[in-house]
Amino acid sequence: MHANQPAFFKQGPKPLTRLMIFSALSFILLVSDAKLHLMDKLRQQLSVLVYPLQWLATTPVDAVLRAGDFMTRQTQLIAENRRLNDERLKASADAMRVKALEAEVAQLRALTASAPHAVGRQELVKILYNGRDPYSARLIVDKGSNAGVAGGQIVIDHRGVAGQVIRVHPLTSEVRLISDRNHLVPVMVERNQLRTIVYGMGRNQPLQVRYMPPNVDIREGDILSTSGIDGLYPAGLPVARVSKVERQNGSAFARIFCEPLAHFEQHNYLLAISGPAERAPYPESASAPAEAPRKTH
Amino acid sequence: MPISTQLLRPVRFGFILLTFIVALLVNLAPWQAALAGLTPDFVALMIVYWALHQPRRIGVGWAFALGLLMDVADANYLGQHALAYSLIAYATLARQRQFALFPFWQQALVTLMLLLASQAVMLLVRLAIGDSFPGPGYFAGPLIAAVLWTPLSNLMLMHQRKPVSDEL
Repeated sequence: MHANQPAFFKQGPKPLTRLMIFSALSFILLVSDAKLHLMDKLRQQLSVLVYPLQWLATTPVDAVLRAGDFMTRQTQLIAENRRLNDERLKASADAMRVKALEAEVAQLRALTASAPHAVGRQELVKILYNGRDPYSARLIVDKGSNAGVAGGQIVIDHRGVAGQVIRVHPLTSEVRLISDRNHLVPVMVERNQLRTIVYGMGRNQPLQVRYMPPNVDIREGDILSTSGIDGLYPAGLPVARVSKVERQNGSAFARIFCEPLAHFEQHNYLLAISGPAERAPYPESASAPAEAPRKTH
Repeated sequence: MPISTQLLRPVRFGFILLTFIVALLVNLAPWQAALAGLTPDFVALMIVYWALHQPRRIGVGWAFALGLLMDVADANYLGQHALAYSLIAYATLARQRQFALFPFWQQALVTLMLLLASQAVMLLVRLAIGDSFPGPGYFAGPLIAAVLWTPLSNLMLMHQRKPVSDEL
């Protein structure tokens, strides 16, 4: 009987059956992606499929902006050129001093025989768009493993640290911003070298320094920069400015709010830089006292 | 014999694909973050629309595939959108005969419920994985989508309502 049905009635499995199949598939995907991290291959292949759409979604806006650039007035260009020249002069003076200092530091480090403090490879990336996902603060940028971007690279703009590359596709990659919930950056207060950790509190929320005693020496306006002790972030990159410090009688910790220095909402380009060089292995615990020969009479 | 202008012409499959691509583009547009999640999920809206109007072509499988694409493009957990979209596609198909006869404003109400359900499914998934509630603004998108339903349906039906010449 089934074979005699006209083609019109042949619709394949019922919607409920399909729902069962596809929702089971979704659950499998969710568990294997969120808990087991097995889906990176599939995600990379799908990302290549999505790339034309991502390109198409951002290119027209860019074209309009670029057309606006084309219409910029000559006087504006000349003024900007002059300003940039001045800035370059100032920067090159700074750079010369930094070079001298670097040479000095290299020499001192050679004396103490510790690891070199080299800057790794850099890659200029363009922001394609912010994710629609309200749960996380992420950006999609336009370079991936084909352009040499690697997972774990630090993303900065000209003011400070913006985030970290967490997932790399062939043509795009995903950047987790420092304001993403529970994203931690080990930092140092520039004024007094106090080491602490700054926590992301979610998209568009101020960063927080948590678990510091109420009498901690952190003031409004202090600049926090990376301390480099984690081996992920190179030392000395500015991260955030302290915007408010609340010291309440009732709580055991001061509430310290900070604003990120990087303005990832404002411009299109970011720089992905590699972390510091591999550090020396951690010494095995308590090996020295155990092996030390005992003094015997 | 005059043909009624309400008699709809068949839809070409290319048109359906085009609307899905446009919906994906709008969802990926770079101004999404500035609007703080107030924009409706146009892909979900298109899935409801086409499951309602073309139930024999667009169903749970398409919803699943589009959901996967959204997950990858949005850097979500794979399967989050896929699950939500499959569920709303099924819910639309299950009552499609009734739903198709409703006037536009009632369809808009049903769409509102469906899109809220899709957001709720995604919320549950994220809560189960361990994220926190993103605030009540998260449910504003479906409200705007419901307001958009009537003009959007009319716009999309315009393509099918073009009068056909009387000659046979």
